[in-house]
Amino acid sequence: MIAEQTYLKPKTLDEALNYAREHAGNFSYLAGGTDIMANRFHENETSRCLIDLSAIPELQGFRTDENYLRIGSLMRLDDLKNISAIASEFPALLEAAGAVGSPVIRKTATIGGNLLCENRCIYYNQSQWWREAAGFCLKCGGDLCIATGGKKACFSEVVSDMAPVLISFDAELDLMDTGGNKRIKLEDLYSGDGVKPRNMSQTAIISGILLPLSRDFKAVFKKLRQRQSLEFTSLTTVVSVDEANKVKIALGGVDPKIVVVEGAVGDDKEKLISKCIKGARAVDNDMFTRTYRREMINVFLTNSFRELGI
Amino acid sequence: MKKLSVKVNNVQHHLLVEEHDTLAKVIREKIQLTGTKIGCEQGSCGACTILINGTPVQSCIAPALKYNGCGITTIEGVAQNRRLHPLQTKFVEKGAIQCGYCTPGMLLTALSFLDGNPDPTTHEIKEALSGNLCRCTGYKKIIEAVSEYVKCAGQPVREHETAKEDSRFKMAGYGRPYLDAVKKVKGEAEFADDIKVKNTLHCKFLRSIYPHAKINAIDISRAEDIPGVRLIVTGKELPIPFGVLPISEDETAMAIEKTRYVGEIVAAVAADTEEIAARTCKAIKVDYSPLRPFLNITEALEDVEDDERIHSHGKFNSNIHKQAELRFGDQKDGLSKANHTCRVEFDFQGLNHGFTEPHSATAWWDEDGLTMVSATQVPHYLHRYLSKTLEVPMNRVRVIKPFVGGGFGGKSDPFPHEIIISHISRKLGRPVKVRLSREEVFLTNHGRHPTWLRMEMGVNNDGKFKVLDADIIIDGGAYASFGVVTTYYNGVLLQAPYKIDNLGFRTRRVYTNKPQCGAMRGHGAVNSRFAVETMIDRLAEQMDMDPCELRFRNFLGPNTTTVGQYRITSNGVKACLEKVMEQSKWSRNYRKRPEGSGFGVACGFFISGSALPIHWNEYPQSVVHLKVDLDGRVLITSGASDIGQGSDTMLAIIVAEVLGLSMDYIAIVSADTLLTPIDLGSYSSRVTFMAGNAAKMAAEKLKDNILQAVSTNTNIQVSELSLKDERVLTTDGKIDLSWIEAVEIATRKVGALTTTGSYNSPKLGGDFKGAGAGLSPSYSFGAVIAEVKVDKQTGSVIVKNIWGAHDPGKALNPLAVEGQLEGSWHMGIGQALSEQMKFHEGLLLNGNFLDYKIPTTLDTPDIFSNIVETTDPEGPFGAKECGEGALHPVIPAIANAIYDAVGVRVTSLPVDPEKILKEMKEKALQEMIS
Repeated sequence: MIAEQTYLKPKTLDEALNYAREHAGNFSYLAGGTDIMANRFHENETSRCLIDLSAIPELQGFRTDENYLRIGSLMRLDDLKNISAIASEFPALLEAAGAVGSPVIRKTATIGGNLLCENRCIYYNQSQWWREAAGFCLKCGGDLCIATGGKKACFSEVVSDMAPVLISFDAELDLMDTGGNKRIKLEDLYSGDGVKPRNMSQTAIISGILLPLSRDFKAVFKKLRQRQSLEFTSLTTVVSVDEANKVKIALGGVDPKIVVVEGAVGDDKEKLISKCIKGARAVDNDMFTRTYRREMINVFLTNSFRELGI
Repeated sequence: MKKLSVKVNNVQHHLLVEEHDTLAKVIREKIQLTGTKIGCEQGSCGACTILINGTPVQSCIAPALKYNGCGITTIEGVAQNRRLHPLQTKFVEKGAIQCGYCTPGMLLTALSFLDGNPDPTTHEIKEALSGNLCRCTGYKKIIEAVSEYVKCAGQPVREHETAKEDSRFKMAGYGRPYLDAVKKVKGEAEFADDIKVKNTLHCKFLRSIYPHAKINAIDISRAEDIPGVRLIVTGKELPIPFGVLPISEDETAMAIEKTRYVGEIVAAVAADTEEIAARTCKAIKVDYSPLRPFLNITEALEDVEDDERIHSHGKFNSNIHKQAELRFGDQKDGLSKANHTCRVEFDFQGLNHGFTEPHSATAWWDEDGLTMVSATQVPHYLHRYLSKTLEVPMNRVRVIKPFVGGGFGGKSDPFPHEIIISHISRKLGRPVKVRLSREEVFLTNHGRHPTWLRMEMGVNNDGKFKVLDADIIIDGGAYASFGVVTTYYNGVLLQAPYKIDNLGFRTRRVYTNKPQCGAMRGHGAVNSRFAVETMIDRLAEQMDMDPCELRFRNFLGPNTTTVGQYRITSNGVKACLEKVMEQSKWSRNYRKRPEGSGFGVACGFFISGSALPIHWNEYPQSVVHLKVDLDGRVLITSGASDIGQGSDTMLAIIVAEVLGLSMDYIAIVSADTLLTPIDLGSYSSRVTFMAGNAAKMAAEKLKDNILQAVSTNTNIQVSELSLKDERVLTTDGKIDLSWIEAVEIATRKVGALTTTGSYNSPKLGGDFKGAGAGLSPSYSFGAVIAEVKVDKQTGSVIVKNIWGAHDPGKALNPLAVEGQLEGSWHMGIGQALSEQMKFHEGLLLNGNFLDYKIPTTLDTPDIFSNIVETTDPEGPFGAKECGEGALHPVIPAIANAIYDAVGVRVTSLPVDPEKILKEMKEKALQEMIS
């Protein structure tokens, strides 16, 4: 007997968390739904219960809290451009948002959803039939990684375009959960384990994303993709510098987690780059080869440093 | 189930839906608004775009209940009271619609975008539409339509009908929207998946998970008891082999004893719903014994035991399917004597057609036997093979082609899914429907063959090509499809547009355990054309000659014969090249651009239909019937398939031109084997030439009949009468009858008039084995210059401009011809830079529109389209091919431009930025050393 499908649309966070408790182990939260629904089509996502968060007012809008810009997790990517503080202090965020999916997708997809976008791998983002034919990999219940020819670790890649740029700005998250609320650094969200890529309980909800204001960030965003639209990333790099000359580099698309390297303006850039490349456990699971993507880390970062004048 | 309340196009609906249903499903199946199309089911093509409270949403990945209480606009809600929205009118007028499958999504995306940005730049328009894939138009006319709409905004809009008024009688040679464009732009055109037949069951397939495996047993015991399952069938029930070419019928509807590729159908389930059928497939257990798979050309060429081979038939000890070899002259001798020679190896990945409409079909049986509605390019071949495989006479089979969302060769073959649902429907006595997912479309494939080839060319100091020799291997996948033809085309279509008297080739097609390859736009000649045209660029450089000049020195002229005895009649290749040179300012740019930027040139030619039919019989290749009755309306019936290329409109133009009528007096019924005479279908660029000629003949006969009757009635010589502007006239004005009056005279006592026109190719070609391959009554020619920009750090290539020119003979409908050319150039850009079918142990890795990378609006450069007209002596009003040939030159032109930009030669497609980088580094190193 197949459990009945349910679609729940709570109006408050408490209600959402109650539903989550009730359906523990067999539900998914859904905001814009663009990632979840595509994964459901492939039966990589099979929860019987969907909890739609989009009607919860606490997750919406944005405001300035002390020294933070706090963006509600339901903010659609396409709406970020309407926030003047982003245009003035974090323009790279708009570039990143504009690089996600396609223009239509960006009118549905949310910033919170983008941060939680499931890790991808060309051997995983396939139909159930395909994965059976290939032999189910680690990420879908098997015991070996196909992309690496049999390693016992999963290298599915984090493909959020928003995460690297937010991390480069030292963004934090407000997490609401059944056990209480907490604030974490965004970079701590990502576990590095491709099978379970996020350090977050299933019931937790990102309620807001916090960006520190007035640090005079400058940042350069770059995304490697074959087409100019309709693409997940093959490599996203962001380099930021703040008023204190702190350099923060964040890479997406080349590791199960966002690779973060910090330094200072005066540091040897080659060393920073090689630290990044070393940190990126890219494997051949993308239409671009691993070798090429690693080579492009160097190119992108070198250009980013130059564009930042550091 | 849960209640969903939505207001769709201002009508309130209260529905019960499954809780996880998508909005696309609810809109199409429950609200029955099928203008919302499904192309990928993953939000990666845009065909399903609808507006929710004015904002575009991809309905295929939108949970319906998420939008409870919302206001929805679908394409059906855009036109108001029979009046098109002005943007729809622009789409129609500008020829922005071909197959019409992407049109609803494209329009809704554009409308919402323009709402927020009423005065956008062209780049902003491109950006806004960059999530909506179109495979037909190359986007050019879509962007033009939007731009023009923006320009005209605020001005009073003329009704579409009145806009046409001043050109009512302008037919051959005047651009005109497709007859069905309004239907398409309103989302009313019914494609195969839109057609609902009462009491229909749904079919899904269980597909092989092994590339090559013996089927020991199929256990359906756990599957057949699932509630809602009506029938499960396996291969043994349909043992009769088929294949589009009668000389290579090597496929059965389902695998019987063994499977030959991952994805081959092993069993089929018919059930009350698609979901039940899909679930049931998973409950069928197949016991396989894997066999050694042959996954690439090298493996397929190995000598193996008979029982190891993919197919047991065939005369080779390996998995070679077909070998073709033709030699004119002595290539070895030619190469030893030529002043400059060049030898290069190439490899090309396989491609898929990427039409936006997935295959779909419905079959039912009644007192007339079997009726099959399917997205097909060739109803006739499907008709034949349904008859053969189901053992039912052709007079008990009817094939109907509804609107088809693009084909490009991929809907030319009879397909297993069509045979299987017909079989199930017969057994159950109920209609059965199937629609393939995008992944299944990729597995069905029949696309461009992966190819390895080595070519040698020689040229003398006077710039005359002396010799060409090619050794070609094409990877056919598991079955034959059009492969025998492809094998020949790779070689024989090298004999123009240049005069090369010493020419030889050997092509081998191998079977591998992968989805089968077949015909795809530019069939057979695209990859070998790439080789020739890039080698000409090398030779020109060796000789220090402009590559255009080298081409000019070697062009065959009009009214010439090629070495393999192709009869070239009209030939505009020289004018095409001159045109693009002038337009691109070639001589000011070639070799004169800053590093990283480059110009490249190439030419090509293609057949206008094959002179020899696939089925050897004396039936004409095309037949068109006309009927006119007292109402004066001329009904055209033709078996030709309009798959978005505009063949219905082309036939109507020809008939109206001959009879001096406006479209008000023309109606067309096409591609229904019960109602329409046989036509060999829409492939090999044959329809304008062949069906067009048949239509012209039928119209001329009708004209004769009518003038004869008027002549008898009025005692005026037929030679003094003419048909013009819906009247029958003499120059002196003595006779001036309306068309209706003339028809009334002509039908007296005899009733409705009917005429038949037909076309058969003249006897052509030489008298040697293989002489028939590539023979055509006429050939098209073309040239392309491309400008690229290569990022020297990343190796990535951006095409900046395409200047293209094509000789289609007389352009009967220049708007449609441009659309074909632009679509071809766009498709070529895809093959050059981004598209490929990538495999992992026989398993297709990128069978979806995210990873199979069809260029988006943003990846498509400015395209300058030029029709260079010639008059073909045998084409209808001088017309010939325009749907495929333009693709050939664009790919090598891009590769040559890359060389001009960064000095690196591309020898494998798609262009790999990694390889470009590597070779640039090697080149830099060499230069440093020297």
